[in-house]
Amino acid sequence: MKRNLIYMDAKSSKFWNIDQAGNSFTVTFGRIGTDGQSLTKSFPDEATAVKEAAVLIKEKLGKGYVDTAASGAATGIAVTTVDDHIPFIAFSSINHREDISENIGTFVGRRVIDYDPEKPIKPDGVYRFRSDWENNEVIPNLEKYLESDEALETTALVFGAWHGDDPDQTSNIIVEALVNGKDRLPKLAALYIGDITSEENEMSWIKQSDLSPLLPAFPKLELLRARGGDGLALASAEHGHLRALALETGGMDVSVIRSVCTAKLPNLEYLELWLGTEEYGANYTVADLQPVLSGQLFPKLKYLGLRNCQRADELAGVIVNSPLLQRIETLDLSLGMLTDEGARALLLMPLNTTLKKLNLHYNYISEGLIRQLKALPLVVDASKPSNMDTDDEWRFVAVGE
Amino acid sequence: MILAPEEAAQAIRSGRISEPIRVAGRLDLKNFEGENLPSALHCYELDARDSKLTGLPDDLKIDSRLVLDNCNRLKSLPEGLSAGSISLRNCSSIQALPERVSTWFLDMTGCSQFETWPNAGTIHNGSLILRNCTRLCQLPSWIERLAHLDLAGCVALREIPDGLTVSSWVDVGGTGISGLPPSMQGASLRWRSVRVDERIAFSPTQLTAKEVLAEKNAEVRRVMIERMGYLRFSQEARAKLLDQDRDGGGTRQLLSIDLEKDEPLVGLSCFCPSTGRQYFLRVPPKMKTCHQAAAWMAGFDDPSLYRPQIET
Repeated sequence: MKRNLIYMDAKSSKFWNIDQAGNSFTVTFGRIGTDGQSLTKSFPDEATAVKEAAVLIKEKLGKGYVDTAASGAATGIAVTTVDDHIPFIAFSSINHREDISENIGTFVGRRVIDYDPEKPIKPDGVYRFRSDWENNEVIPNLEKYLESDEALETTALVFGAWHGDDPDQTSNIIVEALVNGKDRLPKLAALYIGDITSEENEMSWIKQSDLSPLLPAFPKLELLRARGGDGLALASAEHGHLRALALETGGMDVSVIRSVCTAKLPNLEYLELWLGTEEYGANYTVADLQPVLSGQLFPKLKYLGLRNCQRADELAGVIVNSPLLQRIETLDLSLGMLTDEGARALLLMPLNTTLKKLNLHYNYISEGLIRQLKALPLVVDASKPSNMDTDDEWRFVAVGE
Repeated sequence: MILAPEEAAQAIRSGRISEPIRVAGRLDLKNFEGENLPSALHCYELDARDSKLTGLPDDLKIDSRLVLDNCNRLKSLPEGLSAGSISLRNCSSIQALPERVSTWFLDMTGCSQFETWPNAGTIHNGSLILRNCTRLCQLPSWIERLAHLDLAGCVALREIPDGLTVSSWVDVGGTGISGLPPSMQGASLRWRSVRVDERIAFSPTQLTAKEVLAEKNAEVRRVMIERMGYLRFSQEARAKLLDQDRDGGGTRQLLSIDLEKDEPLVGLSCFCPSTGRQYFLRVPPKMKTCHQAAAWMAGFDDPSLYRPQIET
């Protein structure tokens, strides 16, 4: 028996392969792109080897690894070439709350490198452009990069803080520069606009802009991820190829939800919305999400994340009645204010559906109900950050300000 | 004809519409002065709150939200009305919902005349909010599983039909409902938005002052006192006597009960001179005398000005 598992998040991209034959198995693991290291273990008989292998596989799946066969993902190094689509697992970035406090180390499974005009461009890296307070070279550096031969092969780009010493500077400068340089980026498949930690700029202070001009400019785009809700818009979005949309905010304006619901994205497989709290601009009701939950949008959707949400309990009550659960694989209500009330609703989840995974990381659910949730025939992440304040009277989403 | 939301709103407000129109976004017709909308209108969302609409065209098509809050002239809605969510808050002229109405979220808060359900419809998956629909006497059995059912303030409602289910909560605050049907066993209960248990909601006579005083959550405690009745609570909780005198009904007492993390509960215990029934009427905690409390209830801030000839 052979199983090939991979894991990707904002910090790492790893593989873990197991090959069991007879009374032993060999585990090979390491960073994607390396050969990794191997360990072989022998047991008194084959039955024990099979059992021990199954225990390890279950443990890995519980930690967020996915089976490359099941996810249709490519193994090995070439995870983001255009012909070879981005593996589904690479669409997610922030898995746990502590990931928010650091800049990403990997994006779509590849190492992120800060662009330095003095250094040669490495073809296997994903380049990040960002400013600090003293000097804002984001746009000049991007323009320099676009002139290089490597730009033509670029599949992924990351933008960090773009505001320099002008806190009002919106991401529109990036959108414009990218749209103007679109002919130099014919293979662009993945874009992250807002790899910004709270130390650089609080999430609610990040000045976003209308990102929709990017869609017609990059017809091969598969993943669009953005952080920051202020000024964020996605007017009349239309894209025949986009597979993943992730919008991280501390408070999402209802107009953004409306834009997502009216967008024409027939290939969307992954939708991650950080809805946030009223304190930081969230002004939607659960009814505004009805078009998504009705299951009439996005026929290929496999992952739905309604994260960082003040109304997680209310949402959970509606989601368990949603026909969408009959066809998605992952439901993600993590980073929000989910309590026992929402947990009880989730226990009514229809089973024997396509749903495989429930992400409830960072929640206010009591131990007893967490045990009941974990007994569901799904991979359930109901972990809490070690420093989480589970005070009954003061609850908050993972990221507001 | 496809119009941008702003163009469509302008055209409809000026009455310049003669052909079918499609609006890709949210059509804002707040405070609209007309009695009806043009026919063959299709939009993603329609917000016509505070407008003078008396009805809606039969062929209106809404994809997501229909908001008609405070349209107090709105009398009827078209048969087969369908939208992701329908908000009819304070539509005080609505008596009935139309046949074959279909939605996930229906908010009829304050529809004080609403009493008649259609024979068939589809309301499911989301929230049915019927807050303060004071004339409503019954719920139809065709409602499918909801997430939330808010019946708070439906004072004429005495039961929930068996067969109804909720995946999350039902709010029964201030209704005459005395228990959940078998199909709803295990649902979370609320009393005017406060999470309560079955005893508080349905067996208030079992509550004791001791457990009320032991309840740490001030909101739950308030509901428990409301359910027990102030009078019984004040009698059981060994209230402190602040003042005592006599009025037309007999002995009158100003009582105070200390509550954890809350202001003390102060009230005037008195007898009705006509019926002889005893009452406990809550007053602000700063009241010092029975006379001052009675004056406050009559609207006098200065008790010396309150000199009733007779209290009946």
